[in-house]
Amino acid sequence: MKIPKKIWIPICVVGLAASVPLLTKSEYFVNLLVMLFVYVTLSQSWNLQGGFNGQISLGHSAFFGMGALITRLLWMSKIPILLAIIGGGLSSIILAGIVGIPCLRMKRGYFPIGTLGLAIIAQITVGNILPVPGSLPSEYIVGYSLSSRYYLALSVAIMGVLVVYAVVRSRTGLALVAIRDDEEAAEAVGIKTFRYKIEALLISSFLAGLGGGVFAYHQVSYYYQSPFELSWSFLPTLTTFIGGLGTILGPILGSVCFLALNELFAFTLGEIHLVIFGFTFIMIVLFLPGGLMSISNKFQSPLSMKMGWGKRMRSIF
Amino acid sequence: MGQTLVFGILNGALYGMIALGIALVFGIMKYLNVAHGSLIVVGAYGSLFLFRLGVDPFATIPIILVALFLGGAVLFLSLFNRLIEFPEATKIKNSLLIGFGLMLVLDNLATFLWTGDERSITPSYSGITFQIFGLRLPLIGLSGGFLALLLISVLHLFLSRTYFGKAVRAVSQDHEAASLTGINVGRTFLISFAISVGLAGIPSVLIGLQSFSPTAGIQWFNKGIIVVMLSGIGNIYGVFPAGLFLGIIEALSVFLFGATYREVTGLVVFVLILILFPRGMLGSGAES
Repeated sequence: MKIPKKIWIPICVVGLAASVPLLTKSEYFVNLLVMLFVYVTLSQSWNLQGGFNGQISLGHSAFFGMGALITRLLWMSKIPILLAIIGGGLSSIILAGIVGIPCLRMKRGYFPIGTLGLAIIAQITVGNILPVPGSLPSEYIVGYSLSSRYYLALSVAIMGVLVVYAVVRSRTGLALVAIRDDEEAAEAVGIKTFRYKIEALLISSFLAGLGGGVFAYHQVSYYYQSPFELSWSFLPTLTTFIGGLGTILGPILGSVCFLALNELFAFTLGEIHLVIFGFTFIMIVLFLPGGLMSISNKFQSPLSMKMGWGKRMRSIF
Repeated sequence: MGQTLVFGILNGALYGMIALGIALVFGIMKYLNVAHGSLIVVGAYGSLFLFRLGVDPFATIPIILVALFLGGAVLFLSLFNRLIEFPEATKIKNSLLIGFGLMLVLDNLATFLWTGDERSITPSYSGITFQIFGLRLPLIGLSGGFLALLLISVLHLFLSRTYFGKAVRAVSQDHEAASLTGINVGRTFLISFAISVGLAGIPSVLIGLQSFSPTAGIQWFNKGIIVVMLSGIGNIYGVFPAGLFLGIIEALSVFLFGATYREVTGLVVFVLILILFPRGMLGSGAES
């Protein structure tokens, strides 16, 4: 079997990432990387649905939160963490199956609205049932080791990227892209559009649940509702759009940018840094729908500029 | 029970007014302006600012209305007008994303400018209530209901009796056919969008009189979108009854299950409607 040359780049990156806890003593940096891996997992799972299948989901906070909640509860009841995380992922699939599939049945274009509703319902319900912060019991805190969390987060992120890569390269992936580009045409050539959309939803929710599980394993204390907060739906949307919708590298790049800028500006600028993010996001949606990944070929195919700004202004006035 | 219903109806009138702005843009242009709630909150801050200068809250309504109208026009020209030519599903998706970015900007700008504290406008008459048949009717809630009736009648007259209103209805039914008959679709969109944002002025003052914080926008948007879905896309006349319906349902759920599940009830109704009646419950709505 011929190994493509490009394969060495990801292997080097993974190797470098794996050696980080051995090289640095800075806990801050390692914690930051754990969050980066959570972001990458979540963004990549969002990307499978939003980027490759064109279904903009705002319900990922529900899947993420569900994974975090179930993982935490299972883990606290003495179930080994690996099983607990898988349980968290499965619970997200169940949630997606019960409430996500009806959202897919809605009229075209209404999926984001339905999933937004789902995310808010989940957040309020959990906030009402479990209004307390979930702190780890003391025997867990004594045995807390950052590097085990680091390697778990890293492997989940790698797995997430590989799963999305494998799905996208498969027949399913072709179907998903065909549905994104033109659903009616896809149906006309015999693609079972609904089935593939469900597949994308379930895989995506599973990965989001795993991301939530890693979050639950990493954080010492947090409110049970905080992984359900809407910002966990907006985060993958933001990072994927910044990096590049519908590319494997895009969400990774976007997560790195988001986290780096966040760390740089959160302390110096306060709320203003989110204003800058919002502004950047709008600009990317309007002018660079392919994200950072498309900068090189931006000048060949300007998607958003069917009619120039000046011409449209003249037509209005 | 009767008291719960009264508050439900008064809240429902507020929901109806919020939803009117969203319905106008969503029904006519297929734009989903997620930032509508945030614009309402910004309006509430404006009203609070004027109130502190000594202006009566109800007198600030026209000022806020005009300011938001102009702001809406600017937003449309700078951001939303690029989406005019896209097909419906893309329009919803992209306007939602832009609205989300805008929400992020507005909410955090508000937090930066006015801190994250809960605020409210408290004129001297804010506590006054009337007693009728043993029911308490708060003055501010009543005037809110009155304003809502006024608003819906003015909007009705505007849409049904003016030439521009006719153009709006034509564009909402089929914008290509409308442009073939010589209607300037871009201008109709611009003015409808500006009106929709301007309409946020009335609920923003009423919400200001209750209480608000920089991040409250999304909750009010939720109420609005639930009502829009209840009434059916493109069915502007159904919005107000649907608002009352949501208000009453919420009040009943508070009565039955307690106040904690108030928001959930509305959202469950919303998701059920999306699944069972994708075109809304009241009337068929505009075919699209």
